[in-house]
Amino acid sequence: MELNVNGKVVKVDVSDDTPLLWVLRDELKYTGTKFGCGMALCGACTIHVDGEAVRSCSYPVSAAVGKKVLTIEGLTATDKITQAVQKAWVNHHVPQCGYCQTGQVMSAVALLQKLKKPTDSEIDSAMSGNICRCGTYQRIRTAIHQAAKDLA
Amino acid sequence: MISKSNKTDLSRRLFLQTSGLAAGGLIIGFYLPSVGQKALAQEGAPAAKPIEAPNAFVQISPDNQITIVINKLEMGQGVNTSMAQLIAEELGCDWKQIRSVSAPVNPVYNHTVFAGMQMTGGSSALSSSWLQHRRIGAALREMLKSAAAAKWQVPVQELKVENSFVIHPKKGKLSFGELAEAANRLPLPQDPPLKKEKDFKIIGQSVHRVDAAGKVNGEAVFGLDVQIPNMQYAMILRPPSPGMKIKSLDPKTAKSSPGVTDVIRFGDKVAVLAKNTHAARVGRDALKVEWDEKGKTAFSDESLMQDFRKQAAGKGPAAANRGNVDQLLKESTNNLKAEYEFPFLAHAPMEPMNCTIHFDGKTAEIWSGHQMPTSDRGAAAAILGLAPEKVTVNTVYAGGSFGRRANKISDYTSEACELAKVAKRPLKVVWSREDDMQGGFYRPMTFHSVNIGLDKSKKFLCWDHQIVGQSVIGGSMFEQFMVKDGLESTITEGVSDTAYDFANFRCHQVRAQTPITTLWWRSVGHTHTAYVMETMLDELAEATNQDPLKLRRSLLQKSPRHIEVLDLLAKQTGWAKKKVPQGRAWGLAIHESFGTVVGQIAEVSLSGGTPKVHKVWCAVHCGQVVNPEGAKTQVEGAIAYGLSAALHGEIKIENGIITTSNFHNYPVMRLPEMPEVSVSFVKTTQPPTGLGEPGLPPIAPAVANAIYRLTHQRLRKLPFSRELKA
Repeated sequence: MELNVNGKVVKVDVSDDTPLLWVLRDELKYTGTKFGCGMALCGACTIHVDGEAVRSCSYPVSAAVGKKVLTIEGLTATDKITQAVQKAWVNHHVPQCGYCQTGQVMSAVALLQKLKKPTDSEIDSAMSGNICRCGTYQRIRTAIHQAAKDLA
Repeated sequence: MISKSNKTDLSRRLFLQTSGLAAGGLIIGFYLPSVGQKALAQEGAPAAKPIEAPNAFVQISPDNQITIVINKLEMGQGVNTSMAQLIAEELGCDWKQIRSVSAPVNPVYNHTVFAGMQMTGGSSALSSSWLQHRRIGAALREMLKSAAAAKWQVPVQELKVENSFVIHPKKGKLSFGELAEAANRLPLPQDPPLKKEKDFKIIGQSVHRVDAAGKVNGEAVFGLDVQIPNMQYAMILRPPSPGMKIKSLDPKTAKSSPGVTDVIRFGDKVAVLAKNTHAARVGRDALKVEWDEKGKTAFSDESLMQDFRKQAAGKGPAAANRGNVDQLLKESTNNLKAEYEFPFLAHAPMEPMNCTIHFDGKTAEIWSGHQMPTSDRGAAAAILGLAPEKVTVNTVYAGGSFGRRANKISDYTSEACELAKVAKRPLKVVWSREDDMQGGFYRPMTFHSVNIGLDKSKKFLCWDHQIVGQSVIGGSMFEQFMVKDGLESTITEGVSDTAYDFANFRCHQVRAQTPITTLWWRSVGHTHTAYVMETMLDELAEATNQDPLKLRRSLLQKSPRHIEVLDLLAKQTGWAKKKVPQGRAWGLAIHESFGTVVGQIAEVSLSGGTPKVHKVWCAVHCGQVVNPEGAKTQVEGAIAYGLSAALHGEIKIENGIITTSNFHNYPVMRLPEMPEVSVSFVKTTQPPTGLGEPGLPPIAPAVANAIYRLTHQRLRKLPFSRELKA
């Protein structure tokens, strides 16, 4: 199977129904995308496929063929919105254990790509699929507003 | 332990060592180019394998990069930053040049209070390291100054230290990196002066976390991210109920599943090894196992609670007993009686359990998040038949823990070792979310009954409290020194040692048994004791027609820190005028745990049967605050974790099997539910006390007390959803 991950074309030898998450993590070693639940309940595995935020733990690899897959590693290097979000995350002391935060950043970036100045309720609905057990939610909200401001 | 007699030629050794500076001895190491990374083991510890990271708290490289070795697990609480701040402050570092790494297992990194082991827990990192780490930094600073004084031939008093340089008004400046080798040859000062609080430049500053950037760009390596050469992924099928045994196993279908490399039975578990995690999981699903039903007991969470209720009728030993409660209960004409039920709770950290291991028959190397690496190493060594020094434990970032990775029997580490012993190849054992939630360790189920005696005029007479709870430490190595006269503090802490000044007070404890394995869970016994104390206090205030804050204040006159917290909270919220928005109510709670006093006021509304917590004001007395923003994040996180449990948390058991499996039936708080949290700290010069856990206990009772004001319903069974109906 041929995939386009972070702008590179790569070949993988896995069964069609393998969730994209495990192809990224175990086969391609993009470990910035995390495993949390395996049921698209927690958002730790959030990536972008053709610009949409998806839960890679429940996204079969075969469905990604012919599409552009972006992980946190790919976006960090090149994407201005991602960099603004990451800067706001650091400045507002968002990450604690940090395990969910790459997924949180991916969801926040997808939100800011669509809405330049999201309201609190728009943040609520865009981010409600991402669980954080350390309870960083209040700071995530502040950091998204900050990133939106910095990007304006 | 390190003794003075094994002082060696320091120029040839990586470490300085001494006794007497800190409890348990102290080693300070510099990075020395001449010896490179080669570490010399301390006397008494085997030198067979050099420790990978130099065995020391501080390393200084020639280019003035300063590395602080952190002897605690970074699991989100910020130790890689705050512990480094302690050393960097006294050393006089340029904070921008600081980095942190996790310590290997070595006695020098043992906990300063819990002797004999390296340990992260009990909210003790900063409190137990406050003096030790500052003295390490101060000793190094004095040695660097002495080295500079010798080089320049000037009196040491003429020198000052700033931003990782030693400075002389006429001679100029020398970097720590330039001085490290010479300083390393000098004797270690026994009593280096510590900085005065007013001179602090790094302690008390909200410096950014050293791990933040890596955690938002994907570079940070958690246990699940560890990659070792030729590693295979393993998923393990475990008995569905405690004690069940395999009757028959047919591995054929699993073995032929795509990507599967092997199926290995060990004891009553079966591991499927594969080229990736998904292939291992599919292979595991294809295993055909028949379980022997004989070992199974048909209990449920409800049957266990019924049993606890029965046990509450008999009195266990008294954890506290003062005054004459029996007599006053006879005299009382009014009573406030209540019974409370608390469920089992899973820790459910975002990163499920895992362990990566390479065992070659002679040595082993392990990677995971370890709160107790010394005992994890010991368990691994015993299973693998190796001497402990042949086992290298690498502590990597933990994706949350909340107590789960301080396992009293080293469960996930031991299991990986048992498998590796048979499999004999590099492995990563991955737990699915279901494995994590169903195969683990839980906050114990607990039952409380309380009887408060009042006289005719409704004056308070006495407080009688009975707790039936499952042991947290039973069956572990901690039992021998943490259980005295049949009493286990984790069951009654927060009640038996209450700060409320009741002259007539009693707390009995029944230490119950269930087949479910239990463990400390963020704030341990305080998770339920604070709830009962603070909701009953509210009830007492109502029954005696007193303001809940004033009643608490009057009962806490002998506890000045509690008074300071209440006063700060009253000031923060404008309690006296109580401007509460229409349709909302305030609830108050205060509780001390891990040496820290926390008071909270929650502003709550109800929509149908669902509570909405809008705002939480929080006042904290935790001694000096090392990193104010970091400290606030801990309190915010504890509130979220506690609120999650109060609103939703419940492990269900049917027919001996845990049926709660993933976040759909173990819902946890999500972003829209998060209240606005406002944290204030009492200003003090007292040394730091705990902070990872103490923010949690007051939140559930504060919210419950607010709900009562809206509904006149006292919630006695947690989570709230059990009794709050739409």
